[in-house]
Amino acid sequence: DAFLGCHRSYRSRPTHGIGRFKYLLPKEVPKRKKEKVQMKEISTGTEYQYGDINIQMTSYDLCLVEHFAQYVHRLCNRLSIRVNESYAMPTKTNEVLFLEERGSKMQLDAVLTTHQRVIQIRGLSSTFAPILLEVIQSNQPEGVHLLMKQHTEADFKSRLKSRPELEELLAEIS
Amino acid sequence: ETPESVSPYALCYFSSCSSWLPQRVPLRGSHWQSSLLEFRTSLPVRAQPKKKKKVDVKKEQAQKERMKKKLKKLEKAAPELIPIEDFITPLKYSESNRVRSLPALSPEESERRVLLLKKWCLFKQKQDEAEKKAIKALVESQQEALKELRLESEELYQAAVRRDEGLFPFERDGPTYTPPLPGYDPPEGKCIDITKVYTQ
Repeated sequence: DAFLGCHRSYRSRPTHGIGRFKYLLPKEVPKRKKEKVQMKEISTGTEYQYGDINIQMTSYDLCLVEHFAQYVHRLCNRLSIRVNESYAMPTKTNEVLFLEERGSKMQLDAVLTTHQRVIQIRGLSSTFAPILLEVIQSNQPEGVHLLMKQHTEADFKSRLKSRPELEELLAEIS
Repeated sequence: ETPESVSPYALCYFSSCSSWLPQRVPLRGSHWQSSLLEFRTSLPVRAQPKKKKKVDVKKEQAQKERMKKKLKKLEKAAPELIPIEDFITPLKYSESNRVRSLPALSPEESERRVLLLKKWCLFKQKQDEAEKKAIKALVESQQEALKELRLESEELYQAAVRRDEGLFPFERDGPTYTPPLPGYDPPEGKCIDITKVYTQ
């Protein structure tokens, strides 16, 4: 590279290639453009430790649920509980219609969006679990529904887009 | 010689056509029955039927291979995550150039705000420290209790340290500002799910 990089070609001089430095830097791994979305291994845990647990927080209020998720994440960091992933589930939109008092027509009341945030933790010890639950419950804001359950493959699959063509082909072949 | 003269053999043939047929072959039932054999049997014909079989099998195989190729191609593509609408700002908020003009604050007002902020920071700090202390106290008392239990009986200690299978799934609704109104009759209605379905 020394011969191609320089624009002054005094190859015979002892000062040739004096400005070279790139060969001293650590080798950069070329960036992979697309990272395939693959499911990470789900651990079941031992007798004294729980495996992968999902803390799912659902609410109609976006800011509230977002801040609560941040709080829980920071709490787990502080208590040195390993956080595998912290992601958002797709938003669900609902149209609420109600029946008018004098009439048979359904009237549109509101359009509500339900937001859900998930924090996945691993290696929660059996003695510490009730303490963590107590802390999270005491800080639970109004209108935020808390659900803690074990992580399954179905939970992961619900985040992916549906592929009707693939399913059709599989049904046809089998 | 008149053209109408017919040979004697032909006459004999026409007059006794039924008796000329050999007796062992049965008569044809009707003119729809094309062969002289029994009902629903036919002489082996080396024309249409066998060709149909071969072509069918080949077609089916070709179709199956095409489907398998399609399946492989689809399976190669990695599954994608559903995009989350929360994190995508709608275009209408980034297009306009509206700028909010805030009123100028008086020095007393800004002073008051700064002091309020400091008070709030102190309050939050005290709250956080209290929480940390509470967690620490809980853990300590738990460890002490387990120690005492161990001294009491090893069996009970082992059973206590094991994980609780009935703990998860755990569900809890957030607290409400007011308790539910007694005797409240909600209007009838329904919810329609209008979430956008993404397909790959």
